[in-house]
Amino acid sequence: MNNKVQTEELIAAAAESGGAPDAAPTRLKSRIYSALMLAEAAEGKLRDLSETVSAGWNLCVFEQIVQIAPVGSTAKAFNYCRVCHGRLMGENIENPPLYWSCCPYAEFKNG
Amino acid sequence: MASAVLARDRKATAEFVRLYTDPVHKFVWRRLVPKVDLVEDLVQDVMLAAWAGLKSYSGEAPLRVWILGIARHKVDDHYRSRLRLAVSLDQDDGVEEPQDLSEPVELALDRMRASERASQILAEMREEYALLLRWRYWDGRMSKAIAEGTGRTEKSIERMLARARAEFRSRWETTERSGREQ
Repeated sequence: MNNKVQTEELIAAAAESGGAPDAAPTRLKSRIYSALMLAEAAEGKLRDLSETVSAGWNLCVFEQIVQIAPVGSTAKAFNYCRVCHGRLMGENIENPPLYWSCCPYAEFKNG
Repeated sequence: MASAVLARDRKATAEFVRLYTDPVHKFVWRRLVPKVDLVEDLVQDVMLAAWAGLKSYSGEAPLRVWILGIARHKVDDHYRSRLRLAVSLDQDDGVEEPQDLSEPVELALDRMRASERASQILAEMREEYALLLRWRYWDGRMSKAIAEGTGRTEKSIERMLARARAEFRSRWETTERSGREQ
C-alpha cells in the first residue's frame, strides 16, 4: 500500500475516535433554549399553558400557578422563563443548583 | 415533536434543545478542535437555523439526521471562510510530499489507538491544514468542490492537501519514534 493511501486512511480513521464530550454544556443548552423562546415569542403568542398540558407536558410550579389562575389566554401565553431566576442561573452556571421539577433549565442537567 | 415546536410550545422546544444539542455539539466539536472556543457559537447557530427551518422538515429522515445535515452545512461554511483567509498556504515553495519513509505505518495497530492518535495529531496541526484534511477525508469533499467553495484553483487545493498530508505524516512518524524510545 503506498504512503499516500496509508496517510489518507489514518486521517479518515480519526473520524471514528472519541475525545469529544458526550454532552454539551448545560449553559449552552440554556442559552439556546432562551434564544429559541425569544424567537418564538417574537413570531407570535406562545402556546397556551393549558394546551401544553393537554398535549401531555408537565409544567413547573410557577407555570402551574398561572395555568390555574383566572387570567386570560394572553397571560397564559407569556414567556415566564424570561423573568425567572432559573433562566439566569441556567445561562450562567454550569449544572446550576436548580432542583424543582419540569423547569427546562434544571432538566438540561439530566442530559 | 416538530409540530409541537412549530406551535410554539415551550416544553416541546425545551425537549428539542435537550435531545438535539448534544449530538450537534459532538459533531461540531470534533470538526473544530482545537478551536473549541468557536464551537458553542456554531452549535447555537445550528440549533437556531434548525428551528427556523423546521417548517421545511418533511419527516422523511429522523429529525436528528436532518439537524446534523444543517450542522454539516454550517461546518462547511466555517471551513470555507477559514480557508479563504489562508492565503499563505498554497504558495509553491517546492516542498514535496514524502514518498519514501523509513517504515510503513503498521495499520494492523489497534484501530482505536491509531484513530485516537490520528485525531490528536489533527488537533495539534495548524488549523487550516487540519480542517482541510477533515473536509476532504471525513466529509468526502472532492478537491474541486473545496476549490469552488473557497475561491481557489483545484491545483492550489491539491497542493495544500499534499502539504497537509505531509505534515500529518511527519507528525505521525515523530510520535511513532518517540513511542518506541519510551
